[in-house]
Amino acid sequence: MHCRIYGNHSRSLRDAAGSRLFISVCRLCRSLPFAALVTLISVGFVLEAPAHAAAPTFTVGWSVYAGWNPYFYMAKSGILKKWADKYGVVIKVQRFDYAASLDAFVGKNIDACTMTNMEALDMPAAAGVDSTAMIVGDYSNGNDAVLARNNLTLAQLPGKRIMLVQKTVSEYLLERAMDVNGLAAQIPQLHLMNTSDSDLVGAFLGNQSNQVAVTWKPLVSQILAQGGNVKPLFDSSKIPGEILDLLVVRTDILQRSDGSGARFAKAITGAWYETMTQLTAQGAASQAAISGSASASGDSVASYKEQLRTTYLFSTPKSAVEFSESPTIKQKMDLVRQFCFRHQLLGQNITSVNDVGIRYPDGSVQGKGDRVRLRIDSSYMKLAEQGKL
Amino acid sequence: MASIAVLGQFADIQGRPRKLWTQSLSWVLFLVGVFVYSQFSIVRHKENPEDRVVPSVSQLYQGIKSAVLEPAEEDDALDANASTYQRLTHSMLAKDTLSSAGRFFAAILLLVPAILLGLHMAVFPFAEAFFLRFILFFDKIVALSLLPILFIAFGIGDWAKIMLMVIGVAPTLMLDTYNLAKAVPREQVVKAFTLKSSNLDITYRVVLKQILPQIINSVRLNLKPLALFLFAGEMIVSSDGLAYRIGIMRRHMGMDIIIPYILWVAVLLFGMDSLLRFANRRLHPWF
Repeated sequence: MHCRIYGNHSRSLRDAAGSRLFISVCRLCRSLPFAALVTLISVGFVLEAPAHAAAPTFTVGWSVYAGWNPYFYMAKSGILKKWADKYGVVIKVQRFDYAASLDAFVGKNIDACTMTNMEALDMPAAAGVDSTAMIVGDYSNGNDAVLARNNLTLAQLPGKRIMLVQKTVSEYLLERAMDVNGLAAQIPQLHLMNTSDSDLVGAFLGNQSNQVAVTWKPLVSQILAQGGNVKPLFDSSKIPGEILDLLVVRTDILQRSDGSGARFAKAITGAWYETMTQLTAQGAASQAAISGSASASGDSVASYKEQLRTTYLFSTPKSAVEFSESPTIKQKMDLVRQFCFRHQLLGQNITSVNDVGIRYPDGSVQGKGDRVRLRIDSSYMKLAEQGKL
Repeated sequence: MASIAVLGQFADIQGRPRKLWTQSLSWVLFLVGVFVYSQFSIVRHKENPEDRVVPSVSQLYQGIKSAVLEPAEEDDALDANASTYQRLTHSMLAKDTLSSAGRFFAAILLLVPAILLGLHMAVFPFAEAFFLRFILFFDKIVALSLLPILFIAFGIGDWAKIMLMVIGVAPTLMLDTYNLAKAVPREQVVKAFTLKSSNLDITYRVVLKQILPQIINSVRLNLKPLALFLFAGEMIVSSDGLAYRIGIMRRHMGMDIIIPYILWVAVLLFGMDSLLRFANRRLHPWF
């Protein structure tokens, strides 16, 4: 029988065990169960929180994106505070990772959140959280792109490995690209490789055998700047108005009986359009707004301006109201909801695309009237248009 | 007074619970877990009947059924009259389990040379001089941060994930084996030489033979780091696998699939751990 006392070697043994523990802890923090636990715990806190009557507080979550960075500037410059004070509410603006912001919104930890029309459908709406899009901020007008090496064409994509973040607007864009070019029948033959956005640029550029990637700016710009033979095959400017960037709020907040939710909506809408006015002003006036928004994502002013060029901002309430009340938005939303349903993004037990209803400003409903989960509401933007905020 | 004596038994080092007690006590925390979860789920569903964050029993049942019996969304649908066996083998769960298991076992196979290297480091002083310092240092490198390099060196296919697992776990395992082998009393080595053993006899038949059960235990402890590295790799870039599915489902809060998947992974790891423990007992009854 051998000796089981480690004696002289205890130091290196301890080192080994320590590193094992460290690795485990690192992974634990990134792992899903941990995220789920945090969500559960934080949800628990929200359920416990007493409803205070004095100065109702609202939290808006945003994530880095050309069309959402102005929220950062809006809060920092004091525009938001001015409007919040006018309506007697307190509005906090909090930056999240995109996926985490959606989790927080669905978990009801925050009251409003920036998201695309697609995620508005497949995250809160499909999870039964009745949501209202109250600001239609912009649409991607080239921010998302299909990139390929070696002069590949769309018809040559089947069989090639395509790197993208699956089940996001990237996959939507890819399918639309095939569809628009009459290649819809080839879609099932696409070989998709789910790739985290944090590693996509490095992994794509690092190896010449990775020929196709679908992603968004600023990743698109990084790839195009470094990959000599990479060219865009298709981008979102060819499907205008389909990838919408919204500010979504829980419907029950808007309908609070004390009216504080509606005051919050008015305050943030007012602040948003004041910010937009600054951002799109001519000359020096816009400098502060643009550099403030660029700093939200650590971009240079030049890079942010380049991103704004491919972002169609509904910079006036009038243009936003016109778009959200037009028949176009219904067609675009229909494409998106069909995509979500085809990919089971509306949930395993949803048997019909109509189970998640969308209500439009004119009162019409896409899907079942008794299952409205997402509302496009132009009323606050309209108040802004009429100058009544 | 008698009742106090009975209660006192619970806090007694010398208490001897009967088999019924040990059996039932060991299940209490499982029941508490199930109870807390279901209460939480019921509360959430009262507030929002379609809640997906904490799926109800029926949602979970639906999720498990579709995972176990239906092919993955990216695969072709099965005929309506496919047999249950065909359904099981072509299901999403089977596909993901097979591809993850392939990577997992490839990594475990690659750990065998690592263990042997640790052994040789402990036994042969020149090997020790050559390797030990480097491996002690290499062990402290956080493998995850090497991922971008791994993608370039090994492509974005299976090899990058396998190498991530190996690079993450091998140094620890080497050092553990090294320590175990070093702890074998020097007298045994000397004694074996006096009995005409060769160098390799001593390495494999004296040292390895008696530390093997502890090495297997070390591998058992490292199953979870292995799984964690596998998950990290699959979540970052892949087109199939258990963690791939969890990552995809996360995009639309598919907790009805995610929770069964997490439990399934736990069952698999538990099974593998039990298998190794059982093998250890059979192979080394003297340990």
